[in-house]
Amino acid sequence: MPKSHAFFFSAVLMLFVSLQGCAFFKASHIEETEIHYPAPDPEIERLVEDYRAGIEQSLGEQIAVVEDTLTFSKPEGSLGNMAADALRYRAALELRTFVHLGIADESHYMLDFLPGSLTREAVYEFMPYLNHLVVLELRGDQITELMQQVAALGGAPLSGARFTIDSQNRARGILVNSTVVEPNKTYLIATTNRVANTGEPFPVLLNADRRIDLDISIRSLYLDFFRGRGRLTDATDGRIRS
Amino acid sequence: MMNRRDFLQRSAALAGSLAMPALFSRDRNSVKMQETDLTILYTNDTHARIEPFPENARRFAGLGGIARRASLIDKVRQTQKNVLLLDAGDIFHGTPWFDVYGGSVDLDLMTRMGYDAAAIGNHEFDRGPDGFAEAAQKAGFPFLAANYDVRNTPMNPFVERFIVREFSGFRVGIFGLGIGFSGLIDSANSGDVRAYDPIRNAETAVESLKEYYRCDIIICLSHLGFSYIQTRNDDLRLTERIQGIDIIIGGHTHTFMEEPLIFPRENGSSTLITHMGHSGVRVGRIDVSFGSENSGSPFSLSSRYYTIGDT
Repeated sequence: MPKSHAFFFSAVLMLFVSLQGCAFFKASHIEETEIHYPAPDPEIERLVEDYRAGIEQSLGEQIAVVEDTLTFSKPEGSLGNMAADALRYRAALELRTFVHLGIADESHYMLDFLPGSLTREAVYEFMPYLNHLVVLELRGDQITELMQQVAALGGAPLSGARFTIDSQNRARGILVNSTVVEPNKTYLIATTNRVANTGEPFPVLLNADRRIDLDISIRSLYLDFFRGRGRLTDATDGRIRS
Repeated sequence: MMNRRDFLQRSAALAGSLAMPALFSRDRNSVKMQETDLTILYTNDTHARIEPFPENARRFAGLGGIARRASLIDKVRQTQKNVLLLDAGDIFHGTPWFDVYGGSVDLDLMTRMGYDAAAIGNHEFDRGPDGFAEAAQKAGFPFLAANYDVRNTPMNPFVERFIVREFSGFRVGIFGLGIGFSGLIDSANSGDVRAYDPIRNAETAVESLKEYYRCDIIICLSHLGFSYIQTRNDDLRLTERIQGIDIIIGGHTHTFMEEPLIFPRENGSSTLITHMGHSGVRVGRIDVSFGSENSGSPFSLSSRYYTIGDT
């Protein structure tokens, strides 16, 4: 839900909470039987198992091996770093040019990875959306603003930049590709069409000077990235510190 | 026309002054043993979550699962003679099950569970009208959309504007509303289906169900979404504009409502809005009892939800 919606929803809920104190609502007093953990319905469970065979047949292929537990932690996490690196590297490959940054919204990713086999099914579950790759062109001053937006979130999946988040949740010592940001220089940043369309949670992206939509699905991009890595290990490197 | 703030303030004022057309319960994870006149069980935005969330899911690990939902529903049916089982749309998309089966497994299992009707969510168009129709072959229940025109499309055999369910002593009208396509559904996927103003079509559906079919209770399965700042229609706006809907079971915005919103009206009626989040993590329940309150309303409502797999 966009933040503006969330604000309104909160206001409505606050109103609703205030309503609870009045006589309009009253609790029922009915004898009840508590039920926790309803056991699965045996017939439905059997059907699910039968159908599951089709899932495993279609999507059981091993894509990679996960060696460490990989998560989207803050200020940085292994899986968040990989998610952003994959966007950036693939964009560079497709455009045949240097792409300075990659950025993603961690809320779009559904799984952490546990040690063991990483199947196609798990990658589909990890990234259920059929989004595509987008490259945006921003000026250096906008890149600085973007880093501040990342810092305000306490960190986000980011590739190509390093900085420290101070006690005021501000980004300090920002380096992009190991150099300071030049305010008037043009930078390319890879992301998804969903992030580019909504500007959430990085609204400065809506001010991009140019946008290139690439016919590369985000899901297939990750399949290729993880397959290329083969063995997935801890990928934290201190790119965002706090 | 009142603005939204005026409407909500008026609702609050009325709430303090009117008698009680609705009985409200916050109980969770329990099955009421006392029989009521009608029990409505409902879900929304189940999004192909056939199995419980895996242990490494970033949210809701271990929760949900259609087999556990079926078990809960069966237990409620054992204690209640009149049960409606409804869904507010977005059954499709969200897990590898949709990639492999295109929604047909969801609809097969929901049919076996005895779902009575579902709204059409925007994700029901993810494989276009042909893909919807292919999966809907497995649906033994109608999809409801009073504001979609599906004539001359493959969806036509599976979609109704509304249905009427007859019970001993009362009649329930159920209609559906789908969200506008703009910005949500690619024209290639909506095909020849046309979406029209949900407010105006809700008005005519309510009028038909009340005046012609003489329904005692009217339920709207809405996939409009709970609330937006922008001009897009939502459940709050629907409630502002339309009288006569008793219960709105909503979806799309994945809103986990701990309690329903109830908007009382000056004539003694009210509209209850409820959403149950997404992915089948929760099943909502509304119990309807006729003639138990001296409030001017012919029935009272009791609301609760179950968390599937909760401790």
